[in-house]
Amino acid sequence: MSAPLERLVEIALRDVLDPEMDRSVVDLGLIYDITATPEGAVAITMTTTTRGCPLAGFLKEAVAAAAGAINGITSVDVALTYEPAWEPAMIAAE
Amino acid sequence: MPMASLSRWTMSYFAAALAFLLAAEALIIAGVGYPGAGLLEPATLIVVHVVAIGWLSLAMAGALLQFVPVLVARPLAFPGLALPALLALLSGLLLLCTGFASLAGWIDWPVALMPLAAVTLLAGFLLLGLMLVATLLSARPVTLFARFVLVGLACLLATVLSGATFAAILSGSGGWLGEIALLPDGLPFHALLGFGGWLGLIAFGVSYRLLVMFMMAPEPPAGQVRLVLIFGSLGLGLALAGLLAPLTGLEIGAGFSVAPLAALALAGAFYGRDILALYRARRRKALEINMLASIPAFAALGIGLPLLPVATAAGAPDAWLASLTFLLAFGWLGGLTLAQLMKIVSFMTWLETYAPRLGRGPAPRVGDLVAMPRAGLWFTLYYAGVALGTVALAAGVATAFQYAMLPALFGTAGIAGELMRVRRLSEIKAEQRPPFHECPRLLLARAEERRQPHVDNRTAASPRA
Repeated sequence: MSAPLERLVEIALRDVLDPEMDRSVVDLGLIYDITATPEGAVAITMTTTTRGCPLAGFLKEAVAAAAGAINGITSVDVALTYEPAWEPAMIAAE
Repeated sequence: MPMASLSRWTMSYFAAALAFLLAAEALIIAGVGYPGAGLLEPATLIVVHVVAIGWLSLAMAGALLQFVPVLVARPLAFPGLALPALLALLSGLLLLCTGFASLAGWIDWPVALMPLAAVTLLAGFLLLGLMLVATLLSARPVTLFARFVLVGLACLLATVLSGATFAAILSGSGGWLGEIALLPDGLPFHALLGFGGWLGLIAFGVSYRLLVMFMMAPEPPAGQVRLVLIFGSLGLGLALAGLLAPLTGLEIGAGFSVAPLAALALAGAFYGRDILALYRARRRKALEINMLASIPAFAALGIGLPLLPVATAAGAPDAWLASLTFLLAFGWLGGLTLAQLMKIVSFMTWLETYAPRLGRGPAPRVGDLVAMPRAGLWFTLYYAGVALGTVALAAGVATAFQYAMLPALFGTAGIAGELMRVRRLSEIKAEQRPPFHECPRLLLARAEERRQPHVDNRTAASPRA
C-alpha cells in the first residue's frame, strides 16, 4: 500500500466534476475506496448517484484517465459498485 | 468507450408533443371547443384529445423511453419500435381529429375514419407498451417505481380500448358490439383512467425518482410511496369498475365517480406530503429552473385534485368541473411536463455532446445549456395564462378563457424556442462547442456508440507516467 500515492489519486480525482452539481466525484462521495501498490498499480472503487446512471461509463473512464495521468501510476483499475447504495448524506459539507 | 444510454427518438416525441400543445392552445384561442361548444361535442373532443394524446401522452412516452431504461438499469427492449410507435400515434391522432371534424360537420369525410383512427392509436400504444413492459420486467425484482408505470400502462390499455369502442359507436359501426355499446356511460371513467392512471399515476411514480436525482434528496421511505400506489390503484380500479359496470347490468348511479376521485385525491395527498419533504430535505439548495417551474404545477395538483371529488359530489355545474379538469391538465400535468422537459432535454443534450469530455478539461455544466432567467419568464407567462384560464372557465366567461390562453401560448412558444436553443448549444461559447457536424441534431439523438474526434481520447490503458 502506498498512502502518498493514494492521496495523489484523490487530489487528481477532485478535477473530475459532476456536470450537474459542478462538484467533484470525491466531494460527492462517489469514490468509495482507493488503494495503490508501491509499484504504482491503483484500484479505485466508485459508485454513481443512481444505478443505471447514463453517465456511469463516462465517469468511470474519466476517473481512470485522471488517475492514470499521475506520475508514477503504472495501471488503473476502476470498479463500479452499488453496495452500499449512494445517498445524499455522503456528500461532503461545503 | 462507454455508450450513453440515449433514447434515439425521444427528441422527436418531445417536438411533436410541443407542436400539439401549441396547436391545442391556438384552437382554444380560436374559440374551438368548450365553453363555446358542449363538453361532449366533437369540437371539444378534438381539443381534449390533442392535449391528452398529442401533447401529454407523446411527451410522457418520450420521457419514459429515455428514463425507464435508466431507472431499471436495463437497455430499452425493442428500441426499433420507437419510431413506428411515434408514427402510429401521430397518424392515429390526426385520423381521430379528422373523424371528430366529420362528426362536427366541418368536413365531409367518412366517419368510418374513427375506427381506423382507433386501431392506429391502439397499435401505437401497444408498440410503446411492449417496449416499456419488456424493459421493466427484464429487471428483477420489479421495483416500486416499475409498479407505478405498470399500473399506469394497464390504465392506458383500458383507456385506449374503451376509446376504440366509443369510436366504433360514434362512427355508427358499433352495432356488433352489442352490450358493450352501453360503454358511453363510462366516458368519465375513460377520461379518469387516461388522465389519472396513464398520465397521473406515472407522473407520480416517475417524479419520485427524478426529484430524488435532480435535487439530491434522500429517497422517501418505501412504505409512504407504497401508500400512494395503493390508493392510486384503488381509485383507478374503481374507475375501471365504473367503466365496465354497464356490461354487467349493474346500476352504479351517477355519483359513483366520486369514489375513484376521492381515492385518487387521497393518493395525491400522500404524494404531496412526500414531494414537500423531498424539497425540504434536498442537498442541492439552489433550485434549477425545472424544479422551480414545477412548484406551480404541484400547487395546481394541490388545489385541483382535492376539489374535484368535492365538486363532483356536490353536483357542481359543468363549468366548475371543466375548470378543475383544465387546472389539472394544463397546470399540473402540462406545467410539470414543460418544467421537466427543460431538464431532460438539457441533460440529454449534454450527455450527447460533453459526456465523452468528462474529466478531460473544462466542459460546460448541464445547467449552462439553459438560458436563465429568460426561461423563467416563459414559465411565468404560461402559468399566468393557466391561472387566468382556470378562473375564466369557472366563471363561465368564454372570451376571457380565449384571451387567457394567449399568454399561455406565448409562454409555450418561448419554452419550445428555449428547448431548440438548448439542442443548438446556443448558450455555450463558440470555443466550447464541438465542430458543426458533431453538434446535437434537433430531433434525433446520436445514440450510436462512437468516439468523438474532438475529444482527447486518453484511456486507462495508456497511463501518463
